[in-house]
Amino acid sequence: MAQVPVQTIHRDPQLFYWILVPITIVMILTGVLRHYATVLMATAPKKLDQKTIREQRSLLHGINVRSNFHVLSKRSFTTRRDALTTAYESGAYLKDPERRGQAPPNPMSDPSSMEGMMGMMKNQMAMIIPNTLIMSWINAFFSGYVIMKLPFPLTIKFKSMLQAGVATKDMDPRWMSSISWYFLCIFGLQSVFNFLLGNDNAASQMAQQMGQMAPPTGQMFGPGVDPDKQFIAEVENLAVIEHYSVLDGVEQRLLEGITV
Amino acid sequence: MAPSLLHPPSQLSHAAALQLSQQAPAVLRSSPSTVSASPLSALFSASESPELWTKYENLLLSCLRTGDERAAHQCLERLVARFGNDNERVMAFKGLLKEADAENNGQLELVLKEYDQILSDNDTNIPITKRRIALLRSLGRVSDAASSLVRLLEFSPTDAEAWSELAEIYLTQGLYAQAIYALEEVLILAPNAWNIHARLGEMQYMAATASGAGAGPYRKYLAEALKRFARSIELCDDYLRGYYGLKLVTSEVLGDSAGSTKQNGADEFSLPDPATIERLNELATAKLSEIVRHAAARDPGWCGYDELEVAAARELLTKDASALPGVVR
Amino acid sequence: MTWISKTITVFGGLLLAHACYSAQEHSALQSLRAATSTLTSSSPNTAALPVDIAIETVVATLVILLGLVLGTRPLRPIQWRVWAGKIEREGEEGFVDNEGEVNKDYVGNPFRMLEARPGFVDIRKQRREFAQWVKNGDSAGAGAQ
Repeated sequence: MAQVPVQTIHRDPQLFYWILVPITIVMILTGVLRHYATVLMATAPKKLDQKTIREQRSLLHGINVRSNFHVLSKRSFTTRRDALTTAYESGAYLKDPERRGQAPPNPMSDPSSMEGMMGMMKNQMAMIIPNTLIMSWINAFFSGYVIMKLPFPLTIKFKSMLQAGVATKDMDPRWMSSISWYFLCIFGLQSVFNFLLGNDNAASQMAQQMGQMAPPTGQMFGPGVDPDKQFIAEVENLAVIEHYSVLDGVEQRLLEGITV
Repeated sequence: MAPSLLHPPSQLSHAAALQLSQQAPAVLRSSPSTVSASPLSALFSASESPELWTKYENLLLSCLRTGDERAAHQCLERLVARFGNDNERVMAFKGLLKEADAENNGQLELVLKEYDQILSDNDTNIPITKRRIALLRSLGRVSDAASSLVRLLEFSPTDAEAWSELAEIYLTQGLYAQAIYALEEVLILAPNAWNIHARLGEMQYMAATASGAGAGPYRKYLAEALKRFARSIELCDDYLRGYYGLKLVTSEVLGDSAGSTKQNGADEFSLPDPATIERLNELATAKLSEIVRHAAARDPGWCGYDELEVAAARELLTKDASALPGVVR
Repeated sequence: MTWISKTITVFGGLLLAHACYSAQEHSALQSLRAATSTLTSSSPNTAALPVDIAIETVVATLVILLGLVLGTRPLRPIQWRVWAGKIEREGEEGFVDNEGEVNKDYVGNPFRMLEARPGFVDIRKQRREFAQWVKNGDSAGAGAQ
């Protein structure tokens, strides 16, 4: 078996102290800064007026009735269903009943939804700006160095990731350049931030990316959603329920299930 | 065993509340007097935790209850220093303190006016709305309280606590049907709450045994009460309250077996056949005596029961034992 | 942790330490032998660990596992009714952790709030009741002494 000769590159140990450590420290400090910037920039959730609360909670109420109908007797359930259906269909719970049937306002022109968009933009900015700055800083000062060797072997595919900025074809992918260390820091500092800032910090990029992938459930009442349509859909959902109750035959279940 | 400050103190016994409020000086001394909201100092000082604020709130309530106003005011000061005067919860606590300090009804009316003032500025302040309702009820204006509560539930129908309060208010007024409706709403919001199932069973039982209930509603209420108690036991093994209610209801039904056995409409629950009821009664008796025996012997693993509840169960059992030979055999 | 589980864990730890020590000694011996026999260069497969050390390591791990598993508290119930029954029957005592303290996330019956209703607390009534209790308690305490 032909043993691949181990590549050895003699590096100045000072590289370690003047590149690796500064990049790490800068990354951590940026994360902390970003966390506090986000906290400071966060606007308090806007106060909803009574009508809006009523609109949202009535819908939730209907959903609760629909999902937990089995605790009720058939008569109580039908009473509630009838009441809810009438109210929903007549639009009694709507925020502004006279605007019923019109097209929902354009979310771009609605000032209240603009605020939400601005918040999202701010978060994006807080992430993008420091990243761009640091990346250009690293590119300007530290590009083209090999700074460390990873203690584990890697396949050739990792070469483009780990050796960005060092165009040497035959080098073992275990050798890392400074820009790659920067990328590694982006993804690997999560637990450090958890330790420093607590669990729900805004510093980690991973969490933000996750958040972008899975839209929050708050979309239900988001801008551009027509509540009237939601109510009508809920009426249909309620109408198709075939009622049963957990109380049917509960004595038999009890007598079979419990032994003294 | 010391009661924990992390749980709301309204469910504690007097002795436990006293013990808690006696801890107040120690707690107030051991935690920092102000926690700054500025990020710079938060970097260097110990981080605040949500538990600390829960602690202050519960301490505030316990101290008020035991009449230690000084400590209560200190707790409130710290809460205000952290969350500001405009926080809805803090506003409610401030109102609570004023209520406790008030010496006569005139001052209470002033507090009530203040609540009205706050609510006219911001009608979505739910904690203050609740305080106002509680104060109305405490002043004896129960129907006012009920109507305000209905108005609150009109725009916030997913508030289980408010529904539950409404049920109790209706119950004190003797409006059983309305109370049961409100409690069913609580169950919709918390379908697995075994104590609410038992509470609903108790209300149905009260409605059934209250004077003025006709034969039809009587059996309907009893049937549903029986099923509610059975469900509460199904949700919670060895539930003393559920077995107690089950025993009461089944004894009531068995004692009344002379009544008509006509079935209700298909929409309603109907009583199971007498043999099943008999077996349920036996099961409840056996379980109750088991629980009472273990709790009386303070067996390990059986110490969680409330002593008063155990005593009531024991009383029911002895009463039943003396009455049973006459009824059944 | 009972003393049985502790003894078993300690025993497993000793066994593991012994296995490590043996492996270390073995490798030292091998390198020594390799150094002395480089000239003859007839060392076919001496680098492999003897099978008894490997077995000892595995057994030690299993013994430690056994000791730790024996020492844990009974598992929490995962059925709703059993869990609820445990809350009602045992109260706080059913929810202590290995250090003998009540678990931090133990809240008792989470639905008790719906009956206690802290948002609607009638503080004046509570104060009256408490004052009454203190008065009664004092007289009862004086009578008992």
